[in-house]
Amino acid sequence: MKTLLINVLLTISLFTSASLLAQDDPLRVGMSGQYFPFTFVEQDELKGFDVDVMNALGEEMGRDIKYETANFSGLFGMLESGRIDTVANQITITEERKKAYIFTDPYVYDGAQVVTKKGNTEIRGVEDLKGKTVAVNLGSNFEALLRELPYADQIDIKTYESNLERDTALGRVDAFVMDRVSASQIIKEKPLPLELAGPTFSQITNAYPFRDTDTGRALRDEVNKALATLRDNGTLASISEKWFGTDITQP
Amino acid sequence: MDVLNVEYMLGLVPVLLTYLPLTLQLAGIGMVLALILACLFAIVRVLRIPVLNQLTIVFISFFRGTPLLVQLFLFYYGLPQLVSALTVIDGVTATIMGLTMHFSAYMAESIRAAIVGVDRSQTEAALSIGMTNGQMMRRIVLPQATRVALPTLMNYFIDMIKATSLAFTLGVTELMGATQKEAAGSFLYFEAFIVAAIMYWIVVELLSKLQNYLEIRLNKAYSR
Repeated sequence: MKTLLINVLLTISLFTSASLLAQDDPLRVGMSGQYFPFTFVEQDELKGFDVDVMNALGEEMGRDIKYETANFSGLFGMLESGRIDTVANQITITEERKKAYIFTDPYVYDGAQVVTKKGNTEIRGVEDLKGKTVAVNLGSNFEALLRELPYADQIDIKTYESNLERDTALGRVDAFVMDRVSASQIIKEKPLPLELAGPTFSQITNAYPFRDTDTGRALRDEVNKALATLRDNGTLASISEKWFGTDITQP
Repeated sequence: MDVLNVEYMLGLVPVLLTYLPLTLQLAGIGMVLALILACLFAIVRVLRIPVLNQLTIVFISFFRGTPLLVQLFLFYYGLPQLVSALTVIDGVTATIMGLTMHFSAYMAESIRAAIVGVDRSQTEAALSIGMTNGQMMRRIVLPQATRVALPTLMNYFIDMIKATSLAFTLGVTELMGATQKEAAGSFLYFEAFIVAAIMYWIVVELLSKLQNYLEIRLNKAYSR
């Protein structure tokens, strides 16, 4: 059994020495498929703003896009271990992430937003979260944003894999924090009794992270070039108009 | 939103059904491999083969003593960090590896118990008529042990089918992963997850029927 395992491992390692991505290799893109309206599934079809932008980028670069879906908390593990090339899931550029990855130019400009159950009059903004229970997505930038607040120790932060909108609507937590754009979209289109609480409290810029390797840098530059073209010819703006009725791709 | 959206549920059935084969495949392959591994472990343990016995004890202790999700993460995200070539372990392989090792550890113990439980007089009788150890195992001990082990092994198989729902953490879209994504798109959580629950339930019910049938067959020699 053991020697068999060792043999298998050795054979595998012989076949996997290729490092640079050939021109016709597909770009492997990870997303959660659980972040409406950026990436979600309806009747087995992967849809959303991030899917449309990625497809447009792929067309511009002349590369196929291969989507891999996994829970959000698993995506960076997949990027780190080389199973995907980048993550298209509204990844916010942060100092922490910049230490580990290289980013493309931003393609979405947004703000952090507190959302509560409809009719909640106590919470009218981020400063009212003191002593409250607040949900955020596990590993998301919003968790870090909350922990940076001077009164962070007075907030009970709960991390979720998904479904935090539901738990807020059910009253299990007092509020959740997400980006303003998708929060407004959820409230507008989905049957959950939620409302925005106050204005956004932090500017966020989102981009595609790549591994800091030769392959990663080459792909990042390629995506940047395509991104600039799509921005100039208005494709980026029109995809944004389609999903949000406004252009979130400009600062 | 308080009314159950039956139309949505019905529409979801054919979509989710397409992911059921992968779920069954993960559990099916996992079960076959786990059975083989578990039988080997059990024999090593019963015969107390030196060195292998100690290794098996450590293996069983580790895979029984740590959560399946931890093992899956170790295989999928952990190993490639040590040896970058191990990235070739895809989500499906990592899931099957995890299920196999995790459940073989449990199953080895119940197979061992079933073997040890076969009455001493049976083995003595087999040896007295000149059977070798191997013949005794194949013809006398294992058939009797199978009957005893069957219900618990079926239990583990059922558990394994449900454990495949962890595979989506490794990016494998099986029944649970597909349901999670559909629910995230529609925000109709109750509807989506009840459809998935019923599907798992039906599969397990069918297996219970199979178990009944097998038990009756294996009991034939004992019923009068």
